[in-house]
Amino acid sequence: MESRKPKPSALVDSYVVPGDVVLDLSEMTNQTIKIGAGLRQECDTIQATSAGMLRLSKPNKYWVESSQKRYIPSVEDTVLGVVVDTKPDNFLVDIKGPNLAFLPVLAFEGGTRRNIPKYEIGTLIYARVVKANSIMNPELSCMDATGKTAEFGELKGGYMFDTSTGLARMLLSSPTCPVLEALGKKLSFEIAVGLNGRVYVNAPSPSNVILVSNAIIKSESLSGIKQRAMVENLLQRLS
Amino acid sequence: MPMAATAMDHDGGGGDVVTPGELLGNSSSLVAGRGAYADGRSVRASVTGRRRIVPPQPGSSDQRSTVEVVGHKAHGAVPQPGSVVTARVTKVMARMASADIMCVDSKAVKEKFTGMIRQQDVRATEIDKVDMYQSYRPGDIVKAVLSLGDARAYYLSTAKNELGVVSAQSIAGGTLVPISWTEMQCDLTGQIEQRKVAKME
Repeated sequence: MESRKPKPSALVDSYVVPGDVVLDLSEMTNQTIKIGAGLRQECDTIQATSAGMLRLSKPNKYWVESSQKRYIPSVEDTVLGVVVDTKPDNFLVDIKGPNLAFLPVLAFEGGTRRNIPKYEIGTLIYARVVKANSIMNPELSCMDATGKTAEFGELKGGYMFDTSTGLARMLLSSPTCPVLEALGKKLSFEIAVGLNGRVYVNAPSPSNVILVSNAIIKSESLSGIKQRAMVENLLQRLS
Repeated sequence: MPMAATAMDHDGGGGDVVTPGELLGNSSSLVAGRGAYADGRSVRASVTGRRRIVPPQPGSSDQRSTVEVVGHKAHGAVPQPGSVVTARVTKVMARMASADIMCVDSKAVKEKFTGMIRQQDVRATEIDKVDMYQSYRPGDIVKAVLSLGDARAYYLSTAKNELGVVSAQSIAGGTLVPISWTEMQCDLTGQIEQRKVAKME
């Protein structure tokens, strides 16, 4: 049987709500469709289960991109967590998800029982999600896939605030999003973005930290041009 | 006033229905048997059931009859080490799964018993590489062998071919059908899910 090119769903790049039928499988034969977050197979149809924008990655990967305050842990996400408790084998870390995450005390580069980091309650950690599913607590690691520290670990000083998951994804998108680009041209600061909706900002002076944080929070619903105009406006107040 | 002398003497448990605390007779004329206890000079029932008198053994020193209370309801099963139990998984964690024991050797239990399936008891081979998420999910019905365990729960082991998941629901809500000893398939969507499957005859 000849394989036809799969016809993309009519709803790609438009907003869907739970219950919308995205694809009717009875019309397609002999094709593989890969469905990601926010989509579910109901017998012969693929339906959306969360509200957001339907995305397609050619040739056949579909998912729904939604922005929420809650975070659903997913493997290989980089997140900002806050230590809430220490156990003999794990740190318990809050990552804004349904469960607390476990960070094993040995999940650090060169980690042995002798040099366990001494993280107190309230420490801010940049980590990577290693194991995540719907029934168990997620597991984190402060190493990348090759076992090196990379940028993971404790974040000292600075200021951390909450955002929606959509804004966090926009800040991490490439090419650099307009608000960060505009801020970076005039100010020097350090920023860490967690896909769980947390942002950490550090700068030499407190007024810079406040300005950068406010600019990021305000940029969520603005278009690129408006983001640059907003940053211009804020920077004028500094000088 | 001794009432035992008037007790009906049916075989196999017939007799008056008595409730816990009820006076069965005087301890000078009756010995407390199964389901009864001596309280000072009286013998009282400790369970609900029918009163039954057992005549004394010929040739024994104590010539008193034994009064028993034979239960109305059959007792629920109690887990015994080595028995094959049927349990429903309630929680799955990184190194163990909790399960509520429902049947012991195909007899249903009357009260809740908690069992624990540890990571090293899931299967017989490669026990340190077991992924609990790919063996059990909450809601699965499993067959396991019971051992006494610790103060909190019985230990359940599924480390044999015929032990493991016997019935499970898929993510889509359909019934999972076993296709190998590690995989089951949903009958509604065809999706394959991983479980530690019991080999059924």
